[in-house]
Amino acid sequence: MSQTDDGDGDVPIADGVEHQVAMVMDLNKCIGCQTCTIACKTNWTESGGREYMYWNNVETKPGSGYPRDWEEMGGGWDDDGTERTPGDLPEKEEYGRAWDFNHEAIMYEGSDEPLRPMENADWGPNWDEDEGAGEFPNSYYFYLPRICNHCTHPSCVEACPRSAIYKREEDGIVLVDQDRCRGYRYCVEGCPYKKVFYNAQQKTSEKCIFCYPRIEGEGPDGEVKPPSCAEDCPPQLRHVGFLDDEDGPIHKLVNEYEVAVRLHPEYRTEPNVYYIPPFAPPQTSESGETLDAERIPRDYLEELFGQQVNEALNTINRERDRVRRGEESELMEILQTVNTDDQYRLEVFDDD
Amino acid sequence: MTDDDGEPSPDVSREVAVAGVLALVLVASAALAPMLVDARPAYEIPVDYQPDAGDLAAADGAAWDEVPAAAVPLSSAGAGVPNADDTTVDEARVEVARTNERLYVRLSWRDGTRDVNDTGIREFGDALAVQLPVNQSERPPIAMGSTDNMVNVWYWSASAGTEELLAGGPGSTTEFEDGSLATNATHEDGRWHVVFSRPLETDRANATTISTERDMDVALAVWNGSNMERSGQKATSEWYYLALGPDTGGPPYQAILWTVAGIAIVFTTLITVEGVRRTRGE
Repeated sequence: MSQTDDGDGDVPIADGVEHQVAMVMDLNKCIGCQTCTIACKTNWTESGGREYMYWNNVETKPGSGYPRDWEEMGGGWDDDGTERTPGDLPEKEEYGRAWDFNHEAIMYEGSDEPLRPMENADWGPNWDEDEGAGEFPNSYYFYLPRICNHCTHPSCVEACPRSAIYKREEDGIVLVDQDRCRGYRYCVEGCPYKKVFYNAQQKTSEKCIFCYPRIEGEGPDGEVKPPSCAEDCPPQLRHVGFLDDEDGPIHKLVNEYEVAVRLHPEYRTEPNVYYIPPFAPPQTSESGETLDAERIPRDYLEELFGQQVNEALNTINRERDRVRRGEESELMEILQTVNTDDQYRLEVFDDD
Repeated sequence: MTDDDGEPSPDVSREVAVAGVLALVLVASAALAPMLVDARPAYEIPVDYQPDAGDLAAADGAAWDEVPAAAVPLSSAGAGVPNADDTTVDEARVEVARTNERLYVRLSWRDGTRDVNDTGIREFGDALAVQLPVNQSERPPIAMGSTDNMVNVWYWSASAGTEELLAGGPGSTTEFEDGSLATNATHEDGRWHVVFSRPLETDRANATTISTERDMDVALAVWNGSNMERSGQKATSEWYYLALGPDTGGPPYQAILWTVAGIAIVFTTLITVEGVRRTRGE
């Protein structure tokens, strides 16, 4: 699959794809409540061999993430973006097992034990929540919600010898054809974000489907809805729409203001989930005085989001100052919108 | 062999005796060698006809005791998947029997790890495949056939069971909805034994009809699950053929070669002995 196609519009999207769904997550709004995680799980991964899966997870950064140390498991492309880089299959323990709790004993059998997993629990998703890094009083962390990036140049798609995983023509959503999949797991090891999961019960691989039945309006009320992780988010940190909708906020954030950046762009899969990078309060001295120094080290943010993060942070700072001076800022209005019609633009191409 | 004075030696009679014994040994070996070594043409897998199926369907069935085995070398298929060249099985033993109704193929190969689970994310089952052309008229490409020359694949996995598949090129295997393939497997002393059987006749579209009128191409593939072998990371054979067609009745060519060679050696030895004698002026 060639990487990009400048065919009709100015926005590069994958060859053979009409439009490309995209999401922008503002990390400054994430409170780590995991409502998105549970919304996703309730919809898609409660049972049937999916118990261990979190198609949406929220991890604390710095931290090991989910699955544990996924950033060290390989996958993606080489520096030219032409050859795939080999990746590893995670162990079940690296995702964390689905623990059974002693609910029965406590709720129905009158046990006075504390509520706890019934087996030794030594790792799981979000195990290192809020640990972060740095020393008091300048320790730091932020939350990173992650779903499948529905990449423009997906290494999972390239990895499959059966073409069972593919980019959907109408909107670039990456899906696993459950009839074609034979459970080889090359997509699982090939995805550098580890967002394809093996279902040992079904013997096929499964993944985030960008809630396509919701964005198609296939629910009981027939209405087009954003993915559950976005709609159920209490602080409403996500924009959902199409990257090539040049009138939409996602295009402005990604391509015009360039304040929404990709996670690990060096994997060269060209994710279509973008992040507004996190700001934190400045550092303080031992005596509690505010210092003129950023709390989250820039080199850590560069490690996660590439060099582009610097310009993104600078632009946001500049626009913030404009607002402080009482001037208008389109960028700040987009980032602070409470109008869900602006936030979720999923019907703009319905007449195509 | 002569004395210093050039007189004929009393050893001459012994020489003649030795030459005679040698000649006998050579003639005998010319006759017997074909029975001791593999006398089959290269790439042939014999098919044993049995009027009654007995326990051929069992991987450890006694009926297999009489069936001749062929050793088939395997090597990495070289497909375009990661670690494609990392395979661990280098030979399979193949025995084939048929009745008037069914074909039975028993395969066995050394695999010290019995991998029957794929419940872990990094776990894969041991597996085996037998590839047959859909049509015998033209030999399909070895790597899963092609769109216009398809193959049937009889697939068994220790973790996922049996599938009768149709393929028209790499990555195209599709399960027959109405498969009629049966398998039975055992793992003993570090070897898998797996029997596939299927009715000779079929009226299903694109399913191979097994004719007893002519030979049929066959190829094998083996996967070692604990080496994470799956898909194109597999040990495969070249095309072999099942000797299903009528026996031509003539002696195998190896026997002819051995006989010719034996006669030639005896003849040369006798000429040499005679030549030595004449040189000595006997």
